[in-house]
Amino acid sequence: MIKTLGLEYYKIRRKKIWTMITLFLGVEMLWAFMSITRSIAKNPDHAVWESIIFNISSMNGLFMSIISAIVVSRICDMEHKGATWKMLIATNVRRGNLYAAKYICANSLLLFGILTQAVMMMVFGMMKGFPGTPPIEIQLQFIMGNLLTTLAVTALQQWISLAIKNQTFALCLGMLGGFIGMTAGLFPAGARHIFIWAYYLDLSPVTFHYTESTSLYVTQSLGTGIILLALAMTVLFYIAGSIHVSRQEI
Amino acid sequence: MIKRSIFAELLKLRHSRIGLVLAILPSISLMIGCANFYLNQGVLENGWYSLWNQVCLFYGEFFLPILIAICCSYVCRLEHLNRNWSMILTSPVSVASIFLAKLLVVSILMLFTQAFFLGLYWLAGTLFALPGHFPVETIGWSIRGWYATLSISALQLAISLRIRSFATPIGICLCAVFIGLGMYTANLGIFFPYSLLTIGMSVLNQDQLTATQNISFWVTNLSFIIIIASIAIRRLKNKDIVSC
Repeated sequence: MIKTLGLEYYKIRRKKIWTMITLFLGVEMLWAFMSITRSIAKNPDHAVWESIIFNISSMNGLFMSIISAIVVSRICDMEHKGATWKMLIATNVRRGNLYAAKYICANSLLLFGILTQAVMMMVFGMMKGFPGTPPIEIQLQFIMGNLLTTLAVTALQQWISLAIKNQTFALCLGMLGGFIGMTAGLFPAGARHIFIWAYYLDLSPVTFHYTESTSLYVTQSLGTGIILLALAMTVLFYIAGSIHVSRQEI
Repeated sequence: MIKRSIFAELLKLRHSRIGLVLAILPSISLMIGCANFYLNQGVLENGWYSLWNQVCLFYGEFFLPILIAICCSYVCRLEHLNRNWSMILTSPVSVASIFLAKLLVVSILMLFTQAFFLGLYWLAGTLFALPGHFPVETIGWSIRGWYATLSISALQLAISLRIRSFATPIGICLCAVFIGLGMYTANLGIFFPYSLLTIGMSVLNQDQLTATQNISFWVTNLSFIIIIASIAIRRLKNKDIVSC
């Protein structure tokens, strides 16, 4: 298994996926930082750590969904393009292991992106002089929530990317997911929980409350139910994808 | 030669089911826009124009540019497979006609998408029983939007021809959309193809463009198309193709 995983990293060594993730997330962070700076200029009460965590979480609904689709598509499409899937399954490795190696590889790359986000948020907060020390506990919750959602999204994307050769459909799904993630705040909670992309906001440790005269950021503890739901979706998408792709005729 | 290249491109799209993608994405963006309009009818009192604003916000800002990126990646995908670049570049067809054929095919697809979207908008407005007649200006905005898609298509094609990955150009497009939004809010939209779409489709501002703004929109867009297409064709002529 370790060898299979190592080979996945070996295959993508010149694909510059790390650089691509950093650049895409860089644009997201730049946009978020600009919007927070403007928000602070209008309302100095927004100069708190919670503001940045909430803004990044809501933007992740769009960006992480599409970046996940791109990363997974690139890792899977190389097998379609080079017609190497046939060759891989002819080796003495179980298809399930190949599937798992790709899944771990994609998620490790995205975890790098999530950790980069966390570091950039801390740097921005310190540069802006947000009060108090960086909230490590909230940051860890942000990383966990983000990762949990990404695990489910990549499981779904990998299924589509490997099952359908034409990557247009995988990318379209990623795009639709991105828009669901972006507009998640508009849906009622019941409808929102059906779509995994909305979990970037639902599993965020910070939420935004509007009252008639003011608006404020509020920290929230993550419910066990929603975490279990996200985990269940991950397992469901992963197992369904693995079984389908392993039994598919090539 | 160009005519045959266009037919060849259309032939390649024959069983691609790209039409499905072109139909689904505008429909979903329209549905999101309509839902938003329906839930905020108390605030959105400008009838057809408010509906246009809501449906275009998602479609013109995000869905359409990414849809263009997907189409451009798709029309280049076959060439990046099975050493097809070598085959195409050794065929008795000029490099310019290959690029222009791809650009024309993408523009035809976008024209259909715009027409389909406009039809859906009319249908949504009718179902909402909005007061007044269907605003004829929206046809002009759709055509102007389609014209703006040409420069984005040229740019995305140039990127997709250069980058062999299917997905990376789409990610680049997503980033460009946000840069475009930033440039539009900084009143520099005229200098960036992705912001031109926002201006062309009157997504965020439905005030009529002045004569000068209108001329600069059409001229700048044309300049972008010519410059980007020339660079892409020149690059395709002079650089070695990596095919595998």
